[in-house]
Amino acid sequence: MIVCVAVVGHQNNPLYIQSFTEADDALKLHHIVHCSLDVVDERVNNPKKSGPTLNETFLGLLYPTENYKVYGYLTNTKVKFILVTTDLDVRDADVRNFFRRFHAAYVDAVSNPFHVPGKKITSRTFAERVSTIVKSFGSSSAG
Amino acid sequence: MEEYPEELRTPPVTLISIVGCPELHTTISKHLHSEQPPINTLALPDFTKISLFSKPEPDDPSPSPPIGILKRDWLSKHRTKIPSVLAALFSHSQLSSDPAAWLQVCSHIDQIKTVLRPRNIKLLVAVVLSDSNEDVSEDRMLALRKRVDLDSKYVVVFNQNEYSQSLQRLGSVLAELANLYYRDEGRRIKLRIEKKTFSSPGLELHIRYCFKVAVYAEFRRDWGEALRFYDEAYHILRQMIGTSKRLPAIQRLVEIKIVAEQLNFKISTLLLHAGKVAEAVTWFRQHNASYRRLVGAPEAIFLHWEWLSRQFLVFAELLDKSSAVIKNISSLVLATAEKPLTEWESRPAYYYQLAAQYLEEKRSSFEIALSMSETANEIDNSAESVVPSTYVGQFARLLEQGDIFVMQPLTDEEYIRFAVAEGKRFQDSFEIIALLKKSYESYSNLKVQRMASLCGFHMAREHYAVGEFNNAKPLFEGITNLYRQEGWVTLLWEVLGYLQECARKQGAVKDFIEYSLEMAALPASSGTDTQSFRFKNCGPAGPASLAQREVIHKEVLVLVSGESGLASVENSTNLKITVDNPLHLEIDLVSPLRSVLLASVAFHEQIIKPNSSTLITLSLLSQLPLTVEIDQLEVQFNQSDCNFIIMNSQRSPLASMADDKQGRRVETSPSLTLSTNRWLRLTYDIKSDQSGKLECTSVIAKMGPHFTICCRAESPASMDDLPIWKFEDRVESSPTKDPALAFTGQKAAQVEEPDPQVDLNLGASGPAFVGESFIVPVTVISTGHAVYAGELKINLVDVRGGGLFSPRETESLSMDSHHVELLGISGPEGEDETQLGTDEIKKIQKSFGLVSVPFLKCGESWSCKLEIKWHRPKPVMLYVSLGYSPHSNESTAQKVNVHKSLQIEGKTAVEFSHQIMLPFRRDPLLLSKIKLVPDPDQPASLPLCEKSVLIVSVKNSAEVPLRLLSMSLEVDNEGIEGSCSMQHEHETLLDPALLVPGEKFKKVFTVISEANSSKLRLGTVCVRWRRDSVNEEQSGSTIVSVLTTQTLPDVNAELPPLVVSLDCPPYAILGDPFTFLVKIQNQTQLLQEVKFSLADAQSFVLSGSHNDTVFVLPKSEYILNYKLVPLASGIQQLPRFTLTSERYSAGFQPSVNASTIFVFPSKPHFKVADMEDKRKESIVAE
Repeated sequence: MIVCVAVVGHQNNPLYIQSFTEADDALKLHHIVHCSLDVVDERVNNPKKSGPTLNETFLGLLYPTENYKVYGYLTNTKVKFILVTTDLDVRDADVRNFFRRFHAAYVDAVSNPFHVPGKKITSRTFAERVSTIVKSFGSSSAG
Repeated sequence: MEEYPEELRTPPVTLISIVGCPELHTTISKHLHSEQPPINTLALPDFTKISLFSKPEPDDPSPSPPIGILKRDWLSKHRTKIPSVLAALFSHSQLSSDPAAWLQVCSHIDQIKTVLRPRNIKLLVAVVLSDSNEDVSEDRMLALRKRVDLDSKYVVVFNQNEYSQSLQRLGSVLAELANLYYRDEGRRIKLRIEKKTFSSPGLELHIRYCFKVAVYAEFRRDWGEALRFYDEAYHILRQMIGTSKRLPAIQRLVEIKIVAEQLNFKISTLLLHAGKVAEAVTWFRQHNASYRRLVGAPEAIFLHWEWLSRQFLVFAELLDKSSAVIKNISSLVLATAEKPLTEWESRPAYYYQLAAQYLEEKRSSFEIALSMSETANEIDNSAESVVPSTYVGQFARLLEQGDIFVMQPLTDEEYIRFAVAEGKRFQDSFEIIALLKKSYESYSNLKVQRMASLCGFHMAREHYAVGEFNNAKPLFEGITNLYRQEGWVTLLWEVLGYLQECARKQGAVKDFIEYSLEMAALPASSGTDTQSFRFKNCGPAGPASLAQREVIHKEVLVLVSGESGLASVENSTNLKITVDNPLHLEIDLVSPLRSVLLASVAFHEQIIKPNSSTLITLSLLSQLPLTVEIDQLEVQFNQSDCNFIIMNSQRSPLASMADDKQGRRVETSPSLTLSTNRWLRLTYDIKSDQSGKLECTSVIAKMGPHFTICCRAESPASMDDLPIWKFEDRVESSPTKDPALAFTGQKAAQVEEPDPQVDLNLGASGPAFVGESFIVPVTVISTGHAVYAGELKINLVDVRGGGLFSPRETESLSMDSHHVELLGISGPEGEDETQLGTDEIKKIQKSFGLVSVPFLKCGESWSCKLEIKWHRPKPVMLYVSLGYSPHSNESTAQKVNVHKSLQIEGKTAVEFSHQIMLPFRRDPLLLSKIKLVPDPDQPASLPLCEKSVLIVSVKNSAEVPLRLLSMSLEVDNEGIEGSCSMQHEHETLLDPALLVPGEKFKKVFTVISEANSSKLRLGTVCVRWRRDSVNEEQSGSTIVSVLTTQTLPDVNAELPPLVVSLDCPPYAILGDPFTFLVKIQNQTQLLQEVKFSLADAQSFVLSGSHNDTVFVLPKSEYILNYKLVPLASGIQQLPRFTLTSERYSAGFQPSVNASTIFVFPSKPHFKVADMEDKRKESIVAE
């Protein structure tokens, strides 16, 4: 289950962060998302990995906390997407698929002429769309 | 890791024992210890102590089911008590002397053998020879060997004469035997595993055997086998969890976990030791995964967390230690396709952090356990007698029954009670802080700032929890910077909440207000983050929400109002703002409090006249959730006279304010209310009488009687975004009503200087001439201002402009920068330079001058003269600026500046030209002129030893008449003679020649070149002249004459081989025959063959040969004689004579001028003076 998704801007500022847990650990998730930015920085600054990952937007597993797994995604405009999940066995393809759909939703949201680039995303449509994607993440991995 | 017993922490070291010959023990053990690998030695003083190694008889011979997995002391026993080899040393005397001694030896050997056999300890016998001539008889050795029943290589001779060699030998044999022992032991136990000598549920024995085999392998340094068997033991242990029923549930789990911990430690150590970091990390991850969920009984959860925390700590320490060895741990490629590892998992910091996290878990569950046990309130002292039992991970109660102690097993309840009592002894907070600190430092060193911040935050929270606010505060503050910068509002809010509480508890009013205001102005709204209400573990400030911000804001308002309503801080009496304790906040450009109050100041005009007023707009913005009422605003400028105060008319002026606005301008505004995110715009007049920059520095807002906020003024044009609000999607309005002003407005304006009331005149007339000292009179006339501390600056600038040249031009300029030079500045009439006071500034450089102007009263004037000299003709811009102050107090008064400039042309006054002429009708053959293509660069040629005429002319190229004072030819080389120049010079001096513009003055010199040098220097023409000034007497000053010189170009002098002179009378008379002689002079030492021809002329009848070839003898002259009768009158052309020299194959003809004659129609009647005749004669003679 996805417990938190976040969009992080150029200055590592949160543009959108939403948690999907019933438990009251949103603050903890914020911390996790924030810390995962360190890993994103490290991955981006030291692309020591093999060739094919060099230009890939999907950053893979960032950060294994004890109860969560954190995945990252870096768009071509250097906006970061962070996904926190409690699933211990996650298929890479599912995560990639999730990020692709999330990216599409983000692109639509920031294409809104009333959206100012670099500001927080306050669109309700975007929030709804994200929660749909998040919900379908569980079902698609189950199926 | 330190709490592990030594034998577990370090790799096992082979142990041997020696007995006999105690004097050698120290050296042997020292040697063995320094061996590679080292061997520990157990030295027995005498043979009686052998019994230490005897195996105790088992109490119960029948195999009982094991009651534990690993025996606690087994490992240490093998490391410190049971040797692998016993070396018995016998001295020579014991063996070779009397039979009694031999018997003694035999009995020792027997004793040793009986003791060693059950333990399989290897035996080595060494015969010690102390002297070289000592020798043990062959028989004795044989007997000894037989007695000990050993291979001959294990009976060694230790010769003390070959000390080191013997030691070496002994060492290697001992190592070999020890290896043998450990291998045999390992094999023996392995056999037991293979045969499954233990009952199937008795996995304990299986584990124990595996452990033992692994340890023996470690003794042998067979790391691979050790790892394999540790691994096996570990896996069997994992199977035990569901199956074992031996102990009560809690203790069973505790035992398994402790054994697993030891095995894990061994495996991790071995893996890291082999440099397999990735495998170790993977291993540890598995270990963690398989045990993390084994929480156990609810009352013992804290034991689980403690255990788990310890796992992480130990692994972190191991990793830390090995990362010192493995240089660049981060460069290791850890990730594989199926098991992706992340960067952090190879870093100790990650494990320290998790260890701390689990310790926190432990603490919270321990508190629950403690409260449960305290409610039971039955902590008896029975817990005190609980001790670790024989088996690893087991505890038992020690009961004293008479003299002997009996271990009594514990029930789980008792065990928990014991564990709780133990747990109370530990200060978890300090432990957690220490762990977090390690992690924090490690992350900080790696520049992983966000992780470090999180660790720092947890650390600070621990400090906060135990009341160490002084430690907590700097940590919290360090974190806030990162969160502020990156705009993580929720995280920042939490940290600020802690800081606010710290300040509250420490009684720091200023900090408290600052943090509270910052929190209140944070963009935390419940708009999008609906879940922010549900924060469970939120800080003391509660969840970040608009409501909470309002609560905090109100609290601050109450506090700053100074009223007694300090309900929220009732526990702190000193948190108060009073007369004695006023509060002043500073908000600068980088302060996080900018969102609390932002002051933008814009002048409506950038340049203002002194004493004329302009408008200034003051805009204030606040992001506080509630509206703020300001009592009074004070606007401060860098010119303190301009400061003014804005009062809020709705507030009654407070008594305390009355005294501090003495002599200040006070304005009143109907309302000074700031509402959220809306600019409060105030526009006022401003006037300054001081020129220079007028800048608004700060705006001080006063709220309540003793609370002020000083806000640095900002220009709207260069205003930064609000630090955190810039990420928010909010309505942004411009600080001023006029949008243009919002883009361009500045908080500073330039006040112009007052208009100067002093005239500055530059009285130069006409162009300047090269070489003369050009005088430019400068006059300062005061027309309205008195001049104090006047200063005149003079600058000479090239008209071509400064600063716009290409580098090459600059170079050339720098070379001729002194073509125009400021020679001096002379004061007004009669004032000598020496009379100028020393205090007066006077500086003159080549193109710059500075002179001070004395005090001038209104209406007075002062003048000086600038003396400028041109070295080259070029136009120059002369800039003169006068700076003065109109008032006598120099230090404060503004300087007024007057500027004047004048372009002055520099011109050449005189132009020279010259001409060289040969004597009339005498033509030398100059060989250098024969060339077909004349070279223009070639200097003119002069015939040697001939008299030539040099005419030098001077032309006035200036626009004013000049007077020529003298003209001479300065000769610096012999061979040139200006014979008649003296006479002319005198004439010129006596009566200076007036040259009107364009007029030429000519002077004739005679040149006779004597030396046969190819280059002839003609010399330098020196002309002394001055301006022909009408009023030269009036000005009084001496117009100094100027000397202009020009060097004449060099000429060639050469000896002409042939000279042709035509000789005829000066004039002829029609019909009257005359003689025309052509003289060909050969100046060489050679016979010259010349061809000549004489062309017919219309106007003459001629007698003589027309064409011929003649030979001219060396140094002689050949004369051709013609008789001519003129047929026409007037200027007539004589027959043209042409000569060709065969030798030089060059021909030449006298010039047309030379072959012209005037023919009178009849004999003229001259009435001229004698001189004229003489002259005529002389010409004719020549």
